[in-house]
Amino acid sequence: MPAKAKPHDQRKKVLVLVPFPMSGEHLDMRIAQSRTLDFGPGIEFHYKPVKWAGTNFVGPYDYVIGDLTMLEAGLKAQDDGYDAVCIDTMSDSGVAALRAVLDIPVVGPGRATILTAMLLGDKFGMLVMWDRWLGLYKKVMDELGVWHKYVGYQSIDTPPDRFSLLGGEEKVVFPKLLKAGERLVSENKADVIILGSTSMHQARDFLAENLPVPVISPGPLSYGVAQMLITQKLAQSRKAYPRPVGRSDVYLHAMLDAAAAAAKTGPKVLGSEGAKAAPAARKSR
Amino acid sequence: MAKALVLVPFAMDAQGVANRRAQMKGVRLGPDIDFDFKPVTAGPEMYVSPHDFVLMDMAIFEAGLEAQNDGYDAVCIDSMSDSALDALRSVLTIPVIGPAKASMLFALMLGNKFAILCQWEYAQIRTIKLVRSLGLEPFCACVENYDVRPDYVNLMTGKEDETFPPMLAACERAIARGADVLILGSTTMHQAHEWLSQRLPVPLVNPGPLSYKLVETVLGLGLTHSPKPYPKPLVEHYDMIHAMMQAAAKVPKGRRTT
Repeated sequence: MPAKAKPHDQRKKVLVLVPFPMSGEHLDMRIAQSRTLDFGPGIEFHYKPVKWAGTNFVGPYDYVIGDLTMLEAGLKAQDDGYDAVCIDTMSDSGVAALRAVLDIPVVGPGRATILTAMLLGDKFGMLVMWDRWLGLYKKVMDELGVWHKYVGYQSIDTPPDRFSLLGGEEKVVFPKLLKAGERLVSENKADVIILGSTSMHQARDFLAENLPVPVISPGPLSYGVAQMLITQKLAQSRKAYPRPVGRSDVYLHAMLDAAAAAAKTGPKVLGSEGAKAAPAARKSR
Repeated sequence: MAKALVLVPFAMDAQGVANRRAQMKGVRLGPDIDFDFKPVTAGPEMYVSPHDFVLMDMAIFEAGLEAQNDGYDAVCIDSMSDSALDALRSVLTIPVIGPAKASMLFALMLGNKFAILCQWEYAQIRTIKLVRSLGLEPFCACVENYDVRPDYVNLMTGKEDETFPPMLAACERAIARGADVLILGSTTMHQAHEWLSQRLPVPLVNPGPLSYKLVETVLGLGLTHSPKPYPKPLVEHYDMIHAMMQAAAKVPKGRRTT
């Protein structure tokens, strides 16, 4: 009679790729997303930051870097025994490329939240911290062709801190977000609200309790979708995400190692640099 | 004399670049503009998968980052992927033209519904996605493929007899499906443009030469892209980006995977 597998062996593992290099308390704030909902004992989430990144994702420049850094970070996920990959950014950076090289499900919160919002209501709106995030959603909505389901956004126009998230700012930020959320419902006529960033997860419960429509927190939603896909034994279509003729793992690792090495010689950029840095400052020379 | 830079999307030798430069024969330009062709430092070997698209974006981005500092007045991307078009527009104020977006919009000046002719299914899949992303699905009759593997360096040289007839058949299928303007789905197909044009009852847009003419036109009109949809980065990391592509270029051929 075959030995019964221990419960731990049956546990599914999901790799969450974090779009900026970070550790310690900053990484813990990202990890906290997996504790906002009860995913049960059968699944665990491991977080892996990229080797190097640009700054906040505010435009096409950052999206090109984000695609590459996330692809490199996730290349080995399947070999390392993971059952799914999630991307901790609404930009869905690297999702299409990772779907092309991995057979396990790869879930981007951008596409997952928009499609879930349409499942829960007719029209959705975005509640954002900062106007400069709007380009993040354009890419996904262009790809899906769902602009006619989007009622627009409301912003509190507060440049975010991608490391400390909303820590310490709750008393100031939460009421502003609530007012903006109310405008999204009353003026824009949203019947589902999507939080514009995975970094806003700390505000989700407060907003959900005080707003009359569903509020989707993109990070935990993507974990739920990953869990469902694992359970259903489903993954991305190979037809839509064709494999490359040859993978470029060595190439990609060399590129990111070189970028990380070059970054060490430049000034460190931390926190809510967005507010202070515009217009673009050339930090690397 | 205005100077434009054409970014060639694969790392290739002088003969490969010359094959790309031959697109210049497909357009009549004034005497006041000149074009340089520059291959990327490193990049993907093929262009069939989203894995390759990410590499191509970064390769073309890196190759074009310094165009304005190097004295160029405009940039063209020599690929119907329009790779890195938005990213380059976010860092350059000189015009940056991608042939895919340009040729689809231009086709609509000549007719009501366009069709795009692709080499094989891989190109067809990504072209359908691009048409949707641009919001041009209502104006696209179809995307056809003629099922011949592309050669990004030697193009169609020596393979005209086996390639041109299936291309023509695919064009005829597209016309039967309602297309009144056709677009070559790759700048590498330019060698077939004249042969096909002579046999087709509708206009056939040759995207590379079109992009050169557009560059001349926008420069002449004093126009460039709007900064609004292409916001500048908060912080630039050019040294890291150059370091990445130089590191990739040092990886020996055949050692990319493991």
